[in-house]
Amino acid sequence: MKKIEAVIQPHKLEDVKEALKGIGIDGMTVIEVRGHGRQKGHKEIYRGMEYQVDLLPKIKLEMVVAEARAEEVVRTLATAARTGKIGDGKIFISDVAEAIRIRNDDRGEAAL
Amino acid sequence: MSDSAVLARSPEAESLAHTLASRTSDVEDLVRSAWARFIGARSGVALAATGGFGRRELFPHSDVDLLIAVESESELSALRDPLEAFLRHLWDADLRPSHAVQTVAYCGAGHEDNLELSISLLDRRYVAGDPGVFRSLDERFSAFLAKSKLALARALAAKTEARHAKFQNTIYHLEPDVKNAPGALRDLQTVRWFRQLRGQQIALDAPFEFLTRTRIRLHEIFGRDYNVLSFEAQDTIWDDAAAGMRGYFQYARAVERELERSLEHASTDPGTLLGRFHDWRSRLSTSEFTVSRDRVLLRDPGRDTGLRVFEFAARHGLRLAPDTVERLASYAPRVSWADWKALLSTDHASVAFRAMQQTGTLSAVLPEWRRIESLVVRDFYHRYTVDEHTLVAIASLESVRDARFANLLTEIPDPWIVRFALLLHDIGKGSGGDHVTESARIAGEVLARLDAPGQDRAAIEFLVRHHLELSTVMTGRDLEDSATAQHLVSRVETVERLKQLAMLTYADITAVNPEAMTPWRLEQLWRTYLLAHRALTTGLYSERIHASVDVSAGRAAFLEGLPVRYLRTHSFEQIDAHVALARELESRAVAVEIAHDRRIYTLTLMARDRSGLFAGIAGAISAFGLSILKAEAFSNMQGIIVDTFTFADSNRMLELNPTEVDRLRAMVRRVAEGRQDPGQLLRARPKPAPPSRQARFEPSVRVTNGASDTATLVEIVAEDRPGLLYDLARAISDADCNIEVVLIDTEAHKALDVFYVTALGGKLPEPRAMELQSALLSACEGR
Repeated sequence: MKKIEAVIQPHKLEDVKEALKGIGIDGMTVIEVRGHGRQKGHKEIYRGMEYQVDLLPKIKLEMVVAEARAEEVVRTLATAARTGKIGDGKIFISDVAEAIRIRNDDRGEAAL
Repeated sequence: MSDSAVLARSPEAESLAHTLASRTSDVEDLVRSAWARFIGARSGVALAATGGFGRRELFPHSDVDLLIAVESESELSALRDPLEAFLRHLWDADLRPSHAVQTVAYCGAGHEDNLELSISLLDRRYVAGDPGVFRSLDERFSAFLAKSKLALARALAAKTEARHAKFQNTIYHLEPDVKNAPGALRDLQTVRWFRQLRGQQIALDAPFEFLTRTRIRLHEIFGRDYNVLSFEAQDTIWDDAAAGMRGYFQYARAVERELERSLEHASTDPGTLLGRFHDWRSRLSTSEFTVSRDRVLLRDPGRDTGLRVFEFAARHGLRLAPDTVERLASYAPRVSWADWKALLSTDHASVAFRAMQQTGTLSAVLPEWRRIESLVVRDFYHRYTVDEHTLVAIASLESVRDARFANLLTEIPDPWIVRFALLLHDIGKGSGGDHVTESARIAGEVLARLDAPGQDRAAIEFLVRHHLELSTVMTGRDLEDSATAQHLVSRVETVERLKQLAMLTYADITAVNPEAMTPWRLEQLWRTYLLAHRALTTGLYSERIHASVDVSAGRAAFLEGLPVRYLRTHSFEQIDAHVALARELESRAVAVEIAHDRRIYTLTLMARDRSGLFAGIAGAISAFGLSILKAEAFSNMQGIIVDTFTFADSNRMLELNPTEVDRLRAMVRRVAEGRQDPGQLLRARPKPAPPSRQARFEPSVRVTNGASDTATLVEIVAEDRPGLLYDLARAISDADCNIEVVLIDTEAHKALDVFYVTALGGKLPEPRAMELQSALLSACEGR
């Protein structure tokens, strides 16, 4: 099993959800986060006042999928989240040792 | 009426009381037999029932409150093992004992850190053990109570208020806790305790019956001590959940009212500092209203005071006394648009609306309010009923914590428009259709009935119709995309509306639930606001009116070439007045009009363009000792310039001396015609004291060539002072630049000026732009 974590632009959430739904991925955790990568922050000037904007609002998605499907999910996610501009985000993939459904103690991929 | 008559219960309530008493009795038998088995007939220790068990009101799965009272601490070591076995036996019997072990002496004294014990002992009752120990406990606690009633009542009030704060001080939760929420069973019991402390008794039959029945059902449904009336439970308990919840709120309101009376009684003591402060507030009393203990009372209950009692409460942040609420029940005064405006302009308008809702006046003067009263619209995020969400939204504007939005609110000259729009923004909920469309339709009807002036009406209707616009954009669109900015510009149209909409959105999100306005959403909303603000500000000059449609020929000729902003910020009445004023130019070089609304004056000047004209008028107004708040300058295709200056008559000079208005008009005319030097006039004025060092800040001048195709944008932020605008406009004229469009605003002692300037009919080349920037910086500093 693979855990896929993606940090994406907030306005891309609906597109990504739809695309993943299209390939049968319904379960995910969505978290509102703030941060910056290479995009870094910048200064906003409003009516003479300078505001340092160093943490930009982003959306973080987390999902665990069967290893065989990981590549397809990542490809779909990246395509849907891409605008081609700086700030599109990142995807991280890691191994998951075990998954357990609390309700009935299902284990492994059956719990996904 | 005797106590027994007051306390006689309805058959329904009696039957429920019987159900609870019967459960209590069953549990009591079990507890007694366990006591006999494990503790036996030893002396020096007694078992008392407290809390709900003591009252014989034990709910199916609630805790069984027990007090194990010992004569002295020396009894404890011998009791440890038998008590452990006794309690374990109760747990094994599926009870949930909640026990305390205390000495009689401890129970008979007040303990600030153990108020729970004193309160639970109000419902003490002997169950088993040494009767002498219980008698001693009873006597000692009764003696303590006799001398500490006031302190206990005050502690109970503080505890109640702390509990209410956990529920955001409102009964109107979509999924209320029928035990602990404001207006629920704990409050009902608190009312009884307060009465008990005052030697009185009270029956709250109907609420008791409803709340008790509901809590019993919840325990049955969930099989445990679960008291949240969740959506799922609402559907299980009632066939018509909406009607069921309306019933719930009706009873919760009744409990809340009674509790309010009790809290009021317990809250103030003139001997305390707080008490003295409350008394000091009584100096706020007027010929119509008395302020006592921070509550408003009517001096003459028979007199119709319109909305003034609510306005008075809102202005001073006071609540109505329970007596006033009772007297004003269903009070339905005749209300004019001016009354609404006055009410909405107060700093604590939410206080007024709460009071109006309490008395039923809000739905009497705004019948549409009934549509959303106690209305539950199930939603994953919303925590309150629709009416409560609306009132929380209005209140949220009274304590904006984020500095950026707090400042933004101060930039809105008429925040009452935002408050009125908030009052109506969800009024169409529950209709089954799209609530935004329905709310806008109802808002239109309300505003027509109230005979709201065209501009107010348009602004409020706009806000209601677009109240989800910024929320949608901030989560659904790319904030880096210029198309998003253009989308917002096309929807919002003016900076003024954008500011109102941003604050409305801020309030709307904040009122969804206490955690809804996360730093994430705050940041997204601010970014969305900035995006639209930048697009609207830089688009000020580039968009011009051409081939005006839907207007008369006279209007069309005048409008041709004016910035689109002019059309968006002026009503047709104002445009017609300007068209008429422009006609005066056929017979004279300069046309001047001065109008006022209370102490705010507006001077409109039209003339053929002439270098230094704008600077001259600004100088003339400042030389007259008047403080310029806003200014705009536009010109149309015919070369007619339209300058508008808004200024404050802070010293009431014009108001008290009407001939001064004529003198000002004549002076402006002389300056505009070049017959008087405004610089000379200004030099004759006394120099004002500079602001304190702390209030000072560095001026900033930004010159941008990318904002417009044909003009250079100059944005200035500087400390405001008399004559500043004259100095800035003069510096631009002296640099041989033309002022094409001007937008001047002030905020406290800060001047915020936007000029679009040209030289030789186009943008300023880079070296000239730099020179102008330097000249303007010098002008900001009065050099």
